[in-house]
Amino acid sequence: MTLKSVLLGVLLPVLILLVWETGSRLRWWQPNILPGPGDIAQYMVESVRDGSLLKNIGATVSRLAVGFLLGLGAGLIFGSVTGFSRLISHLVDPFIQGMRAIPSIAWAPLFLIWLGIGEASKVALIALGVFFPIYLNLVAGFHGVDRKLIEVGRVHGLGSLALISRIILPAALPAFLTGVRGGLGLGWMFVVAAELLGASRGLGFLLDYGQNISRPEITLSSILLFAILGKLTDALVVALQRRVLSWQDTLGVAR
Amino acid sequence: MKINGIRIAALLIVVTFPGGGVAFAAPGPAVIRLDYATYNPVSLVLKDKGWAEADLGKDGIKVEWTLSEGSNRALAFLNSNSIDFGSTAGAAALVSRSNGNPIYGIYIYSKPEWTALVTLPGSGISRIQDLKGKKVAATIGTDPYIFLIRSLDTVGLGLSDIELVPLQHGDGANALVRKQVDAWAGLDPHMARVQVEDGATLFYRNPEFNTYGVLNVRKEFADKYPAYVDRVISLYEKAKGYARDHRPELIAILAREGQVKPEIAKIQIDQRTDLSVSTPGDAFRGTIAAAAQVLLKGGQIRPDVDVDAVIRDYIRPGFAEVALGGK
Repeated sequence: MTLKSVLLGVLLPVLILLVWETGSRLRWWQPNILPGPGDIAQYMVESVRDGSLLKNIGATVSRLAVGFLLGLGAGLIFGSVTGFSRLISHLVDPFIQGMRAIPSIAWAPLFLIWLGIGEASKVALIALGVFFPIYLNLVAGFHGVDRKLIEVGRVHGLGSLALISRIILPAALPAFLTGVRGGLGLGWMFVVAAELLGASRGLGFLLDYGQNISRPEITLSSILLFAILGKLTDALVVALQRRVLSWQDTLGVAR
Repeated sequence: MKINGIRIAALLIVVTFPGGGVAFAAPGPAVIRLDYATYNPVSLVLKDKGWAEADLGKDGIKVEWTLSEGSNRALAFLNSNSIDFGSTAGAAALVSRSNGNPIYGIYIYSKPEWTALVTLPGSGISRIQDLKGKKVAATIGTDPYIFLIRSLDTVGLGLSDIELVPLQHGDGANALVRKQVDAWAGLDPHMARVQVEDGATLFYRNPEFNTYGVLNVRKEFADKYPAYVDRVISLYEKAKGYARDHRPELIAILAREGQVKPEIAKIQIDQRTDLSVSTPGDAFRGTIAAAAQVLLKGGQIRPDVDVDAVIRDYIRPGFAEVALGGK
């Protein structure tokens, strides 16, 4: 990224912040409806000092991490199996495709009954959200491997295992990483849904807490942190994509 | 820049406050938005009888009803200008007011014992001390939540000593019954329901820690249409009088709206709802001031808040005094 592109990207947020703070100071709107950036900063400082903010961020991030790993693992296993075996694909894929049509949040009440109000139901909900994009992209990746590449491999005398590790996996990798990126994005969405279901800490809890005690600056702080953390984790995946896929000979504009 | 600011502000007011634009021409609002709640049986009678529609309709004013599932919801609705009058507990409104929600407490709809600490037999919980380290459901920003904090405080415990599970009242009742939490800071009629249907017990009761059912109005509405605040209070008083004189019917209405059996509604009405007070007076002031002391200590009210000043500004008995003629 060049300095110019960084400056351009920062311009709009800074402008919004300026107008926002000015408007709040001049009381263009009531602070009980939209508190200014100053109020938000004040809450953040307060809550960093008493340690509650870190505790809430930690709760959300660890839930997301566990849910993401579970969803990733399940996506890898199911995706690989259905990607490689035509029989299992015919057997399982229509079912999973059908399940995908259910908005994952619709599972929330059921998970509450099955798994209770603790961490298990929250993590399961996140894992479910993460699973689908990873699974779908991985299967698409496997099915999309160019037959000519495999022919070339055969001509060079590669065995089945070598074909998988040298040709099929690398060829499916871009699609898989796209799935990982999408899965992580959905994971952030579902962590909010999960934490609105009776969480005693976490950023989703703060979201609701702020509303319930009429302190919108707490809700806004939570939203802001979601934006920052979501962007950070996404940047990590993008960096990983760059690194792992550096062999790709593409324009690279899409990423 | 200055002119622009004022212009934008004016535009915002017109956009955010429907009816605001015609206030110069007409003496009343186009719509009055009330809430109703199963923890406010008087609101159910008023809604059921249609008296607000009949009376305000004479002035060409429409009436809109919104369900509040708890004080937290009613306060959020008031704060976002979604309703004009909202039913809450006194202490819950005070916390919200201290955080900047522009409301007045104008009328007492009931003096209830609507909350207590609830558990199921066999949970091993029989006193407040037993809650240490346990999962306790409560709705943040409501009387049961405040009741829980005050109860814990009586034995030297705080919220950090338990695991609070924030759930809306009805969900909290269900979580208790499904044994997903160990205890619940209850609210009627859900509390009476789990008592009757699931054998739940109220292991800690304290009527003094219940902070009255109070009707709130948005400041902006009250400043603009004080006469209509009086009108709504008069309507409430009519519904309350009817409720007092027609207990069986009141129970039937509550059972229907709350979707509970009549014998459950009967517990709430006959044993735990006192409809004799209407004007927010000294007893009410004392009750929420006592709650505020504990909330300050626990950090639920911010330390820089001048609680006495907030209470003085919040409680406005004048409207009820005018509307009820000193009753």
